[in-house]
Amino acid sequence: MKALKVLALTLAVGAVANIGRADDKANPGPQIRTIVRNLDNPSGIAIQPETGHIFVSEHRGVLRLSPQTEEGKKGLARAFEVNRYPTDIYGKGPMYDVGPLGVAFLDVEHIIVADGSRKDAEELVRVYKVGTTSAEKPAKEDSAVYTLGPITAGDTSAKGEGNFYGIAITNNAIHITSNGDDTKGWVLRSQLKDGKPGELEGFIATKQDVQTDAPCGITVSSSGDLVVGQMGEVNVAGDSLLLIYDAKTGKLKKSYETGLSDITGMAYSPATGKLYATDFSWAATENGGLFELTISGDKCEARKVCELDKPTAIVFDDKGNALITAFGTAEEGSKTKPGHIVRVPKKLL
Amino acid sequence: MHRAWFAARLVGGMLSVLLFTGQSFSWGDEPPGLPKVVHPNGDVPSAKQIALGKQLYFDPRLSRDNTISCASCHDPKKGFSNGETFATGVRNQVGGRNSPTVINTAFQRFQFWDGRAGTLEEQALGPIQNPIEMDMTLEEVVKRLNGIPGYRQQFQDVFGTDVNSEGIAKAIAAYERTVLSGNAPYDQFQAGDKSALSESAQRGMKLFFGRANCSACHAGQNFTDNGFHNIGIGMDAKEPDPGRVAISKLGGDTGAFKTPTLREIARSGPYMHDGSLKTLSDVVAHYNRGGIANPWLDEEMFEMKLTELEQADLVKFLEEGLSSSTYPNHTPPELPQ
Repeated sequence: MKALKVLALTLAVGAVANIGRADDKANPGPQIRTIVRNLDNPSGIAIQPETGHIFVSEHRGVLRLSPQTEEGKKGLARAFEVNRYPTDIYGKGPMYDVGPLGVAFLDVEHIIVADGSRKDAEELVRVYKVGTTSAEKPAKEDSAVYTLGPITAGDTSAKGEGNFYGIAITNNAIHITSNGDDTKGWVLRSQLKDGKPGELEGFIATKQDVQTDAPCGITVSSSGDLVVGQMGEVNVAGDSLLLIYDAKTGKLKKSYETGLSDITGMAYSPATGKLYATDFSWAATENGGLFELTISGDKCEARKVCELDKPTAIVFDDKGNALITAFGTAEEGSKTKPGHIVRVPKKLL
Repeated sequence: MHRAWFAARLVGGMLSVLLFTGQSFSWGDEPPGLPKVVHPNGDVPSAKQIALGKQLYFDPRLSRDNTISCASCHDPKKGFSNGETFATGVRNQVGGRNSPTVINTAFQRFQFWDGRAGTLEEQALGPIQNPIEMDMTLEEVVKRLNGIPGYRQQFQDVFGTDVNSEGIAKAIAAYERTVLSGNAPYDQFQAGDKSALSESAQRGMKLFFGRANCSACHAGQNFTDNGFHNIGIGMDAKEPDPGRVAISKLGGDTGAFKTPTLREIARSGPYMHDGSLKTLSDVVAHYNRGGIANPWLDEEMFEMKLTELEQADLVKFLEEGLSSSTYPNHTPPELPQ
């Protein structure tokens, strides 16, 4: 019910996004809309169970976006739930200030944050307790109820792990994509016992399986498999892979070439069961966007749903509408941050 | 595995291609350890097309003063490079970059050190027109080759046309896709022959795929990620070579160059885009130091603190493990008259 409220509000306040075919104001049909602006390199998005509140990780911390309760105000109220993260820089040009990268809910009260705000070998995965309404003041980044990691330099990782990004949760484990040791390309795992996360450890060395770098987006299929988007080299177009892993054994079941360049986020639509991926397309961002991935035999076909400006993560609401974070591009002279959230309605997927 | 592959090669097959020099190659029978060669549009070239490409590759008449062929800078006897710091073209002009090997370039996603060509066909015409290398226009080279009856006849046989630039590119690229090296001791070791590598090479292999971080970039069957990396080479120069950024316009590609294959690396020194490292020991020492610091240095470059023995083991793996007894030691063909 609350998720419906969010949906209604987002429709009411959403400005027409300057992406895809969304500017077609003459079109009375469903529109792709930007529902939140002025975000600072948002890279993770999750919806809180029961409340339908949107949680976004960006450079400065983790934000809650919830329906406005103040009279006369429209749109989504925003408040930091967690902040005071350090800053790391991703990329050599362009360069992006990054903080916490990925978010996912373990349950209604616990949010998992995959962090990118530190250097490799120092990075952490945090689990914070959150309420169902906005916190009076943000929690400090070190106030987590559980802290997983770091994985320092050693046998598992030549230089230590970092840039924790995608999060996938199965019945008995949390899985995190990691990019520290590029000879391994780890999907890390923390096994759950009585709802509590255990030690963070190397689980799947994806690079050794497919010889391509950088697991990034990750989700779980209806059959319980781990579905991993392998980003590949950021300066090589078209090298992203779709990998299917047995979540229990960590064995590779299938690898598909996608033709996409830099898969960042992956999610299945709860409405249709279709798989979607966001492509940042680092070397040619004009080619980035949201793609539907369809597997047929040994082939994976990628159909572009819409263009997006450096998309980073995707989540579906319970109605099957996609919410996507994107870095965006700063307008000259603008004082606001270009990061935003786009809503792609179910009917356009 | 090793013997089975030799047997298969001896038997040959319907697709077997007998080059004029007696060296054979069969599409679909690539050496163990390598992927299948993919041809543009799935168009598998004929034996005649490959033979024509080989003649063009070795023919100095493609250059202004009839002195430089593709093989001058990409010599089979020198690892399909030239053994020099830089390439030398017509009138003894010296270029600014080391000659990249042609070995297994069939599998490279990009050609040239800065990746400015996406296909071998596109690459093949570049040096012909480069004023420092072969210094011809395409019109001039087409006219010259059409004046050689043997070429004219072969182009008619292969392409059904007189000599043209498209045919030149297709033929040279088809030949270059036969310059393959696999079935190295590393491949044999991976296939189960545990005697294929010495103990030192085995230790080096473990380092290569582990703590020495080599496989972060030199990955896959061709030992390259097909990407571009700044490893610091030349970045301490007064005016560093910009590398990939000149093509991609991405700031992060400043000073970045294509990751080369490491197969047959022992034959193709000196190393790096500027030929500045003379030996594989120099190369390993460079990586062990973490490269040369600069704002665009790849994150995979860091001080590794390898011991002298570990560095020697790495070199041993590169020299011994990746050098094949079936190296494509092609010899020049008879040229059309």
